[in-house]
Amino acid sequence: MSTITRRSTLHRKEQRVALIFVALPVIGFAVFTIFPLLFSVYASFTEWNGISAPVFTGLANFQAMMVDPYFWQAMWNTLFLMIGIPIGLSLSLLLALALNRKMRGTTFFRTVYYVPVISSIAAVAILWQWAFNGDFGLINQALAMIGIDGPNWLANTATVKPAIIIMSVWKGMGYSMLLYLAALQSVPRHLYEAASLDGAGVLQQFRNVTLPMLRPVTFFLVVTSIIGGSQIFIEINIMTPGGGPEFASASIVWYIWQKAFNYLQMGYATSMSLVLGLIVFAVTAIQFRLNRRNQFSID
Amino acid sequence: MSHSSTTTASPAPSVPHTPLPKLPARRRNAQDKQYRIGNIIVTVLLSLGAIIMLAPLVWTFSTSLKTHEAVFALPPQWIPAPAVWENYLRVWSAGPLWSGIKNSLIVAGSVTVVGTVASSLAAFAFAKMRLPAKNVLFLVLLAGMMVPFPSMMIPQFMMFATIGWVDTLLPLIIPGLFGNIVMIFFLKQYLDSIPDSIIEAAKIDGASFLQIFAKLILPVIKPAIAAQFILWFMGVWNDYLAPIIYLNSPENQTLQLVIASFNATYATQTDYPLIMAASFIALLPVLIIFVIFQRQIIESVALTGAKG
Amino acid sequence: MKSRFKTGIVAAVAAAGLLLSGCGPAATGAGGETLTFMFRGGADEKAAYTKAIGEFEKANDVKVNMIVTTPDDYSTKLKAAIAGKKVPDVFYVDPGSVQAYVKTGVVKNISEFVEGSDSIDLDNIWQYGVDSYRFDGKLMGQGDIYALPKDVGPFSFGYNKTMFDEAGIPLPSADTPYTFDEFVDVAKKLTKDTNADGKLDQWGTGLNVQWNLQPFVWSNGADWLNQDRSKVTVDTPEFAESLQWFADLQNVAKVTPSVGEAQTLDTYQRWMQGQIGFFPVGPWDVSTYEKLPFEWDLIPYPAGSTGKSATWTGTLGIAVSNSSKAPEKAVELAKFLSANETAQQSLVDAGVQIPNLIDMSDQWVKDSTTKPANKQEFLDIVKDYGRGLPANSTYSAEWYDELFKNIQPVLDGKKTAAQYLKEAQPKMQKYLDQANQAAGIG
Repeated sequence: MSTITRRSTLHRKEQRVALIFVALPVIGFAVFTIFPLLFSVYASFTEWNGISAPVFTGLANFQAMMVDPYFWQAMWNTLFLMIGIPIGLSLSLLLALALNRKMRGTTFFRTVYYVPVISSIAAVAILWQWAFNGDFGLINQALAMIGIDGPNWLANTATVKPAIIIMSVWKGMGYSMLLYLAALQSVPRHLYEAASLDGAGVLQQFRNVTLPMLRPVTFFLVVTSIIGGSQIFIEINIMTPGGGPEFASASIVWYIWQKAFNYLQMGYATSMSLVLGLIVFAVTAIQFRLNRRNQFSID
Repeated sequence: MSHSSTTTASPAPSVPHTPLPKLPARRRNAQDKQYRIGNIIVTVLLSLGAIIMLAPLVWTFSTSLKTHEAVFALPPQWIPAPAVWENYLRVWSAGPLWSGIKNSLIVAGSVTVVGTVASSLAAFAFAKMRLPAKNVLFLVLLAGMMVPFPSMMIPQFMMFATIGWVDTLLPLIIPGLFGNIVMIFFLKQYLDSIPDSIIEAAKIDGASFLQIFAKLILPVIKPAIAAQFILWFMGVWNDYLAPIIYLNSPENQTLQLVIASFNATYATQTDYPLIMAASFIALLPVLIIFVIFQRQIIESVALTGAKG
Repeated sequence: MKSRFKTGIVAAVAAAGLLLSGCGPAATGAGGETLTFMFRGGADEKAAYTKAIGEFEKANDVKVNMIVTTPDDYSTKLKAAIAGKKVPDVFYVDPGSVQAYVKTGVVKNISEFVEGSDSIDLDNIWQYGVDSYRFDGKLMGQGDIYALPKDVGPFSFGYNKTMFDEAGIPLPSADTPYTFDEFVDVAKKLTKDTNADGKLDQWGTGLNVQWNLQPFVWSNGADWLNQDRSKVTVDTPEFAESLQWFADLQNVAKVTPSVGEAQTLDTYQRWMQGQIGFFPVGPWDVSTYEKLPFEWDLIPYPAGSTGKSATWTGTLGIAVSNSSKAPEKAVELAKFLSANETAQQSLVDAGVQIPNLIDMSDQWVKDSTTKPANKQEFLDIVKDYGRGLPANSTYSAEWYDELFKNIQPVLDGKKTAAQYLKEAQPKMQKYLDQANQAAGIG
């Protein structure tokens, strides 16, 4: 009996300490995530300029959103820019495979390809803006060497999105390369050996051993890249102030920011941000769902 | 997934290791040779890629040393002649670069130092301590990760506006001090590998939880903390959206905003050398840290991914 | 171990606390009041203001914190400051924002401080400037005063005299404007390849649609809005004709740098390098243009069917915050910046504006030692034929911005002006209706 009481006092003490340890993140979460989120839900049903009190307007903001061509254009632009995700992932997987070979210089290459990842995105956006300059930019100089007359990338509706994608791939490739490399190195050797005993060629080994082992990392990278990609802002704001030619590069976050802080349409901006949040949430949830089902089939 | 049976995700360690049958020596040599040729091709390709990766950075540096006119020279010069080092002196008086560095250090430093302490204690509690409904709590926190910052920024802004913190560094600092769920998540993953029995034993020995944390937990999760710390620091250092919303006065701006406004101000005067010099200065600190600690950083990032 | 760990935490917290203490809200200096003044501009303006404000500080025993932003950032920064409840005591406001700021109670009604005041003589300030900040609750241009003009900015038209001399073309008249056709003819003569390398390197003109369309629209008898600003009128034939003519300068007459050439080095830079014949000149450009290696001067804008030249006069106002803790001093600062002779002189000397004070500009226009020679053109615009920008009289500028957002295909010759304007009018009308509704005059 006495040991039980002693244990339960101990437990209670432990719970108290544990509560203190988790208190900060939980409070932070409540104050800086839950409360703003709830307020967002409320504000999205109001007309609100950030100065006077919000006025309840029901679904007006959402109705306006449905017929706002710029909202749809910004959504489309954001989605389009995500083409960079599969491109980046494929390239970085190739890189990781190359660096996984037993050869000299891999450490050096690994470092070089990682440098853009650690570089400040604002500085990187500035230098790429200059690199994409029509006449004096690095890109068109390089293209000229092979006889191509390059466009004025950022001023052209057809090329501004590809330009930003090129930059994003350049910037982000090193990170996924590194994660792929680590995953490759953790594939147990005997799996390959077993596969090769079964008579599997290099390609078959890649398909049947390597790819399945990379699935968790790929999943992680896809989920985080989509969450990150849906929030693209800095590159847009610096490289194409004003949202690019004919709004061709304005991302949804950029548009929200404009509406909120340049036109002081806080209510409308909030409702758009809420829709963005819901979409991100739904897409992530679906991915987790699909991933779980796939893992089932492997086991 | 037709081969699913042969590609079990987690290999059973108990399966005895079948040794490879020895190949005839000649065939092995031929394979070696093939592999070496493969290496040469791969190295050449990787080198070309490396040039592409580094060219924009080298170009930035090169431009930063040019005269106004040399920027528009055709064909472009890679090695500026004359090299105008004065650009790097001019840049300090051309805008609040110095206070930008200071502000960025204040924000990134305080957030990561305090936030890391908060996060690691929380991770310890979530992983190893008794707390009713802690798993539910943890999942809720984790779900919060999926809320994009733009969905909260407007109410957050109004919150800080109400207490008069706009145009100070506080809105950038305070939320970070409460810890970071990503970090908690990775540290908790790490801690799951420590057997509970060790901690139970320490508890019976009468050690306080802080002691257990310091003696048993900290040594194990140190590499993970270091990795997360560095990543977080770089994340805060490079942040742009929150600063652009909150900071107005030039002297309160973080480095990223300062160089962005350099870009806006001096582009109309086509003073690209100055812009590039400022950008290069903004790149340099992280670049230096990276070159010095590149092995540790790369290994810890890789480790983070493996845990994810 | 335990103590070491605790010390670690304590040290970390202390370090953070130390860092934090350095970044709280700026403390006000001992004694005296502090005003914040937010404005936009370049280095010249900042230097001129620093000097003038130094004197104000001494005379009034206050400290003035200056927040200066780039022109592009200003609107966003100011709005963030307002939404962030950190409204500067004194700040620039453009006429188009006045209604919204009055309605939301951001700016102070300063009528009682400036009308019949000893320290400022409104009759000696350009009427256009003062009236731009009057609002009677319904219409701009009449009623109470909510800001004082920082400047009036007649947006005039310049030409490269040296280029004319070299080409042997008679100089344009300072009194009679070109017709549209005459202008194109002259511009064609100026557009050429001077060094015979097969590429054009000199052009008649190169204008930005957003800032240069207005003179041609107005002088062609068209306008953006009807009288009571309830209807967007960009779909008239006169409007389409002038926009088409503007676009044709590039596509048909080919007297401007091509799209690619203009994007690479914009026409502003090319004008300064002496490659452009005609280019707009505002007072704020004078300090830069004074140093140009060629002769230039001002002329009236080419005129369309009305035969009368037109252009806009920009202006920025200096407003006082309703939430200022030192409203009297803040109003004094606004008055000082708008009308103090020393302050005006240092701004005029810096070449960033024409004098706000009428008597001072009479002196200034006679001064033949400074450029441009035809300063009278600037004054004519202010006194006579300059107008406010179309969005100045509405609650929000969204309807006006809309016109320029998708205009590129017209400039590229891929769409006719008439067709584009027909598509744009309903969209603009929708935004205008919203603005009017927000203003309470729906």
